Amino acid sequence: MTKNRIHWALIVVGLVLGLMLSTQFRVQQEKVYSSTVKRVQQLAQEVESAKVERDALRARVQELRTELDRAADEARQGKLRTELDNIRMQAGLLSVKGPGIEVVLKDSNAPSQPGDNPNLYVLHDEDLLKVVNELRAAGAEALAINGERLVATSEIRCIGPAVVVNTTKRLAPPYTITAVGDPDTLIAALEMRDGVIATLKFWGIQVTVRRVPEVVVPAYTGPTTFHYARPFLEEGGN
Amino acid sequence: MQTRYLSIAVVTVILGLLVGLQVKLLGVPEEPPPPPSARAETLTKELKELTWEKEALWEEIQDLEKTVQSARQGIEQAETALRAEIEKHMMLAGLTGVIGPGVEVTLENTPGGDFLFAVRDEDLLRVVNELRAAGAEAIAINERRLVGSSEIRQAGPFINVNLERTSPPYRIQAIGNPDDLARALELPGGLVDTARYVGIEINIEAKEELVLPGYQGRPRLDFARPLREGV
Repeated sequence: MTKNRIHWALIVVGLVLGLMLSTQFRVQQEKVYSSTVKRVQQLAQEVESAKVERDALRARVQELRTELDRAADEARQGKLRTELDNIRMQAGLLSVKGPGIEVVLKDSNAPSQPGDNPNLYVLHDEDLLKVVNELRAAGAEALAINGERLVATSEIRCIGPAVVVNTTKRLAPPYTITAVGDPDTLIAALEMRDGVIATLKFWGIQVTVRRVPEVVVPAYTGPTTFHYARPFLEEGGN
Repeated sequence: MQTRYLSIAVVTVILGLLVGLQVKLLGVPEEPPPPPSARAETLTKELKELTWEKEALWEEIQDLEKTVQSARQGIEQAETALRAEIEKHMMLAGLTGVIGPGVEVTLENTPGGDFLFAVRDEDLLRVVNELRAAGAEAIAINERRLVGSSEIRQAGPFINVNLERTSPPYRIQAIGNPDDLARALELPGGLVDTARYVGIEINIEAKEELVLPGYQGRPRLDFARPLREGV
């Protein structure tokens, strides 16, 4: 009777001990395993909140510009305000609308043959750069990729599968380029024989060009303060 | 007797272990594989860029707050404030001449080289794009200032910039942090390496002071109209 009890007790204790040990082992393993995951998750969270903050700051900048306009109106500075708006248009700081086109670019959907270099069939920053350059040459007055306005300082570069524009704007495919300008000239420039589109199509990149009676190109809302360049006055003074 | 207890103990512990592991394996679905550290790297980079932009925006906000405040003080102050704002945006638009530190990049065809490997528009385009990515604030090619609507386009043996013809050697001047600008181009396997490989002579020189002219062309605004309110 007592012997039986001891047996049972031993069995139960042994089972519990075994369970505990195995759990311990799993937990230990998970810890090592997910510290990299956790680090990435933590970073991703920080990036997300930084993006929210950035957007809020950008909105505040726009708000202050409107406030400045209002103050200018109150001070009856109509002439200077028109001048400011004109400069802002040229700098890309105002949203504009007008006739134009919309170009959509997507990676190749042609099945690549074994032995082919898949890199050749993927859209690169260079392709976007060339399309944009061609549109500029054809007289585009305002340009945006996926709604992000291109200004004099805007770069277009690939980081992994995303394209980065204006330092912090990460854009995902498909890429839609919107341009204000003479639609006929813009389309003709792109569709020229041996032109950009012909080259892209050679690699199987999917390109569609659409004429838009009124396209909207949003304003650039990023920082505009220079840290290295200062105005140079012709007289030699600074 | 003792050995019997011991063997029971050992057997049950092993049984418990097995049951425990089994339950874990069945109960919890497979976790995704740990992400490569490259992911952390990309995120760190993104975070750094976002921090940079946030700081720059803060500066912008403080600057604008001051401008708005003084613009509210009276007609004269408003005029001064607006003029300051106009000047600032003219700089961004590339309409004013600017001075500052930076780099000068010269590209030239190798004498007697093959036409196939002469400097082409896309080479300049790539250099300019790289400089912009590295934070260039103002760029000019052979004294032609690049603005938002500037093209760099092959026209026979020449390259047009701002609809004007330029010929080699191409001198690209960029104002910004000289180290950052030079480093971006000189990255191993980067632009300079590639250009030299195809036989283009490329030279980068850091400059303490560069003077870039403002955009000389007429503003291109024949089709675009301002859209007020709402982005």
